[in-house]
Amino acid sequence: MNDIVKLGGILLLFSAIAGGALSVVNAITKPRIELQKKLVLERALTTALPMANKDAIVPVEQDNMLYYKGYKTPDKQDLVGYAFVASGKGYSSTIETMVGVDTTFTITGLSILQQVETPGLGTKIEEVRYGESTPWFQDQFVDKTWNGLAVDKDGGNITSITGATISSRAVTKSIHDGLKQLEATVRQHHSDM
Amino acid sequence: MEIKALLIIAVNAIFIYNFVLSRFLGICPYIGVSKNIDSAIGMGFAVVFVMTLASMATWLIDFYLLRPTESNIFYILFNFKEPPDLMYLKTIAFILVIASLVQFVEMVIQKMSPGLYKSLGIYLPLITTNCAILGVTLINLDANYSFIASIVHGFTAGLGFTLALVLMAGIRENLDMAPVPKPLKGAPIAFIMASLMSIAFLGFSGLKIG
Amino acid sequence: MSISKELFKGFYKENPVFRLALGLCPTLAVSNSVQNAVGMGAAVTFVLICSNVIVSMIRHGVPKKIRIPIYIVVIATFVTIVDLVMAGFAPALHKSLGIFVPLIVVNCIILGRAEAFAGKNNVGRSFIDGLGMGIGFTLALMALAIVRELLGDGKLWGIPVLSSGYEPVLIFILPPGAFLTLGLFLGFFNWLDIKMQK
Repeated sequence: MNDIVKLGGILLLFSAIAGGALSVVNAITKPRIELQKKLVLERALTTALPMANKDAIVPVEQDNMLYYKGYKTPDKQDLVGYAFVASGKGYSSTIETMVGVDTTFTITGLSILQQVETPGLGTKIEEVRYGESTPWFQDQFVDKTWNGLAVDKDGGNITSITGATISSRAVTKSIHDGLKQLEATVRQHHSDM
Repeated sequence: MEIKALLIIAVNAIFIYNFVLSRFLGICPYIGVSKNIDSAIGMGFAVVFVMTLASMATWLIDFYLLRPTESNIFYILFNFKEPPDLMYLKTIAFILVIASLVQFVEMVIQKMSPGLYKSLGIYLPLITTNCAILGVTLINLDANYSFIASIVHGFTAGLGFTLALVLMAGIRENLDMAPVPKPLKGAPIAFIMASLMSIAFLGFSGLKIG
Repeated sequence: MSISKELFKGFYKENPVFRLALGLCPTLAVSNSVQNAVGMGAAVTFVLICSNVIVSMIRHGVPKKIRIPIYIVVIATFVTIVDLVMAGFAPALHKSLGIFVPLIVVNCIILGRAEAFAGKNNVGRSFIDGLGMGIGFTLALMALAIVRELLGDGKLWGIPVLSSGYEPVLIFILPPGAFLTLGLFLGFFNWLDIKMQK
């Protein structure tokens, strides 16, 4: 019995040292990890809303939907568009896309926030072709509205990636659904006013 | 949670995201313990058992000890200003829980059912370092599964592992009689077989569910 | 054994992946691109060196009965450090390696070296052993990744190297390709062994 207490004590001591060391490392890395997350979000917002001032994009929460309002000038007077995060289940991960639209709900830009799809297949949603500077799959969405937005295999206007229909469909459907919801939410709010 | 969502989790865990053939978890026992069907079944059941228990235990640990929510026990006990975020301790906490769980299960089975111990016992120590166990608990955490969903996922992921293991053992029993080139005997041919099985399982990803 | 032999044994003679068949889960899972392979290799090497050194330092003070749980605590600590640092400084890599970063804890190479080597040898030798085994693991991962990324995606390190006329053999970057490539590599090394014995 005594033996068990002693062994347990040693194990506890080791765990305590480990826990202590980790809390130090956590305290050091935490601000850095949060900064990374913020940077990713900021970069995505500027890609999604190229016409907005990057210091004049503010988050709004309405009817359980979180979205962003983008203004042209830092004094936040002239509204130029909205942005939201669309998320859909891809082949091996949840794909999250930041989507920007102008005030007529026509897509102005998008940026993939998160995906861990199969390299060489699903990851092509972010592929930039040789000689081009922006990802071709995402470029297709620009200037389109939710109406009729679907991959070609479903009779829509987005060319899907060869061998990665699931990923293509996930992105397209999540944007279609999210945009439809955004438009309804925003319009509802405006008619209230 | 509705039954349909749980069924989707089950089909996904067994076929589409099979732990061995699609997620690459539990490869060591898959190659090591697949030489005959009996031991494959023994190992499979041990894994199903421990995976289910581990999913349960780690969900409770995560919800009541690590996650920064109102239900955090430290928050309730010590009157912290806000719930402490201990998520960074997840790896160390989960592996210790799994290691103790395996020890505990071994002791209980030995006392309660010597027959079962005889058939499962030898596989239990191997399970602590089976990455499928820690893997399933981390996936539960990432996917934000509820308590019930975690248990269903743990159980069915174990079944998926068992399925792959038993299928492999069936093939390898017959493979002994096949004229395999000498350098490919053993593990190499087992991996090539695994590749073919994985192609077959890839077909399941075309299933449209949900 | 001389220091250099201690270092080089992990490269070929006792290569953890190809000769000892250890650490196969991450080998299969993250060898789909060379970048992932190098990132994973570096993470494992770091954990391997640190855990070997610590285990060697405490080897006289640890009671035999609970040495394994203590080794696991030591390993898990370093794995968490890697996890946090990677999330802060290489978020893209951290995302694409996913749960295989925390799963380094159960990588049998690390516990295996702690038990078979660091628990019995001095700090210096344990350091060298960890370094050698880590590099050996990285080399094995890279070998697989080069084959898989080149054939399956026509790229190396994310850069297209095969002409645009090359139609990638997709199966190589999918799970079946991982099993097939590893099986053939293991077979190749067996064949080499048989040849050399003759």
